[in-house]
Amino acid sequence: MAVAATFFDGETAHDRPVTVERISNELQFSGENTPLTRWSIAGLHPIDPPSPGQPFRLTHDSQKGSRLILRDDAFINDLIASNRALRGGYSFRHLGQVLGWTVGGLAVAVALGWFAMSFLPQQLAHLLPDSWRNRVGEQVISSLVEKARKCETSAATGAWSAMIAKLAEGNSSLPPISVSVYDVPIMNAFAAPGGRIVFTKELLRQAETPDEVVGVLAHEIGHVAHLHPEAQMVRLAGLQILISAISNGGSGEWAGNIAALAAIFRYSRDAEREADEYARSTMAAASIDPMGLKHFFEKVLKLEKGKPDSTQTPSATKPTALEKIGDVFSTHPGTEQRIKDIQPLPTDHVPAKVLSEEQWKALKAVCG
Amino acid sequence: MSDTATMAGVSAPEQLTFSFVKRPGLLKITIVSFLLTLITLGFYRFWARTQVRKHIWSSVHINGEPLEYTGTGMELFKGFLVVFFVLILPIAVVTGFVGILYGPESPLLITIQFAVILAIYVLWGFAVYKAWNYKLSRTQWRGIRGALVGPAMTYSLLFFGSLMAKGMSLGWATPVMNTVLQEQITNDMRFGDAAFKFKGRAGPLYPTYALCWFLTLGAIILVTVLASVSAASSPLFSEAFGNQPQNAEQIAGMLIIAAIILFLVFLLLVPMLWAVYTATQMRVFADYTRFDGAPFRLEATTGSIIGLTVVNLLILIFTLGIGWPYINRRIVRYVVERLHLDGKIEIDRISQSKVPLPTRGEGLFDAFDVGGL
Ligand SMILES: [Zn+2]
Repeated sequence: MAVAATFFDGETAHDRPVTVERISNELQFSGENTPLTRWSIAGLHPIDPPSPGQPFRLTHDSQKGSRLILRDDAFINDLIASNRALRGGYSFRHLGQVLGWTVGGLAVAVALGWFAMSFLPQQLAHLLPDSWRNRVGEQVISSLVEKARKCETSAATGAWSAMIAKLAEGNSSLPPISVSVYDVPIMNAFAAPGGRIVFTKELLRQAETPDEVVGVLAHEIGHVAHLHPEAQMVRLAGLQILISAISNGGSGEWAGNIAALAAIFRYSRDAEREADEYARSTMAAASIDPMGLKHFFEKVLKLEKGKPDSTQTPSATKPTALEKIGDVFSTHPGTEQRIKDIQPLPTDHVPAKVLSEEQWKALKAVCG
Repeated sequence: MSDTATMAGVSAPEQLTFSFVKRPGLLKITIVSFLLTLITLGFYRFWARTQVRKHIWSSVHINGEPLEYTGTGMELFKGFLVVFFVLILPIAVVTGFVGILYGPESPLLITIQFAVILAIYVLWGFAVYKAWNYKLSRTQWRGIRGALVGPAMTYSLLFFGSLMAKGMSLGWATPVMNTVLQEQITNDMRFGDAAFKFKGRAGPLYPTYALCWFLTLGAIILVTVLASVSAASSPLFSEAFGNQPQNAEQIAGMLIIAAIILFLVFLLLVPMLWAVYTATQMRVFADYTRFDGAPFRLEATTGSIIGLTVVNLLILIFTLGIGWPYINRRIVRYVVERLHLDGKIEIDRISQSKVPLPTRGEGLFDAFDVGGL
């Protein structure tokens, strides 16, 4: 059966009348200005899905720019019946491809995300120059303590120096640090990039002995030594960059976002274990009684458990960034184990006295 | 071959007629596109857009032969990837690090953000031009494709200049700038080796523009005056009705409601007013445009443009945006059903475009979220 059709060669807009014939698995067509052309049916592609009463437009793998337009309904139907791919439109193969790519894409994204969030930040943290670490540390502290007053007396500064000197007796490679106290009514202590350690007034108020404070200090120095705050900042910055890239533009709300993100992504359990380990070995070598730190952790745990569940009873005031971020307060699962891991000093060690009575009083009174 | 045979191959010049032949299947495309876009967290949008274009293009017939869209979803996706990694990600990284190091209010960060906004304005025209180039290069009729042959940068700079000029002249430069921009892009436009030409002045657009401009100004003044009068008069009323505080409250309440209604009417009327200008500009620009020497004519009227816009808006609202393929189809249909080419064209003499095909599509356009067709 030969039918009339139109052929466009893709070189000119000239429409060429041709006669098409189907011979076994080929379409053969020729016309006045068109030499005999043979297109295999397997290589045919529909331009649009066939629709009744409409011309059916085809191209072929061998001549991608050319078009053959069929108008004979019987011929078209016969052709479509011989090759389902000519129906065009959606197919299960198309759907399968989309789902395959989606699942594959998600898997790659999760793998990259895991790499970028767990392994990479710790490595990058070592590459940050000190000037960056210091500047970021300032930013983090000012966004976390907000407008709280910084408490400073020369006697208290002396007490901190005494504690650091004591710890240095046990560890000759103590990283350079600076400690400051802020007038915040929330019990907390944290380390910011650049070796900046922050204590709150409330923590000092709750502490009963200098051993408790020096224990917390040793733990925070552990974070500093392992560059945990820096790694955390790299992690949060990466996340923030990703978010702003996906939402098509940078946002200026960096500090606020960092505080919010910090609340969601606290230190990992491994990081806390590393800081604990650092505190334990440093204190043991300096003959500082670790039972102070243990006692302090127990107190934190009890306070946390005694508090009404904040997720169920909405408090009247919005929790501050400092309340959410927490280091001392990060009572994620495993705190009991961490407490258990703190062992008393060996019996042959005489516990050292960390602060004199005057120094301890000055420290407790630093915020007036 | 004899002379008669070669002569028979080339037919006489023809009149071109545009028609829109509705095809079934858009509903299926719309639903599948929505579901797959949802499942793939938005990444299917490039393929969805391609499917919709293929469908709409194939409904546009010129002398019985439909247009064909030959673009692919992968090309659009590649365009997106390039823009993401070359532009969006570096900007996010730089602003991110500056923000963390120097704080959110640092002058450096503000300077960078200002530079980014400026760059977006400069690149906007570039994006528009590239998007048109991609669409034209992927549009075929009788196996021949379209193209834009100029450098995109010229149009891009003109576009930026036009934004500045429109702003500084309180809008009065709009007809001139629009004409210049349209002239620039139309004169770069080709179908195969046949050219489009644009020639004409902005003068005839000014009477309509002035009318719309002064009526808008009048409306703004009227609304402002009425709003301040109703605000100022409520204490007067409470004084006058001092012994009947309920009456005073009622009247003050009614005045506030009246002011709100007036404002809403204002919000609806001003765009409708500007449809007068849009229709005029569409007609005039069509008159100024020739294809292979033949002039175009577009029967755009204010009423039909308002109708098109209002219904499109309703579709957008009531389908929660899912119905965008229908909106696109309605816009194309509107133009196609009103467009005429007066004069005859020797179609058979048009040969394939020699302009190299762009390999990626509209990345910037997608990034700026201009959307559209
Ligand atoms: Zn810790």
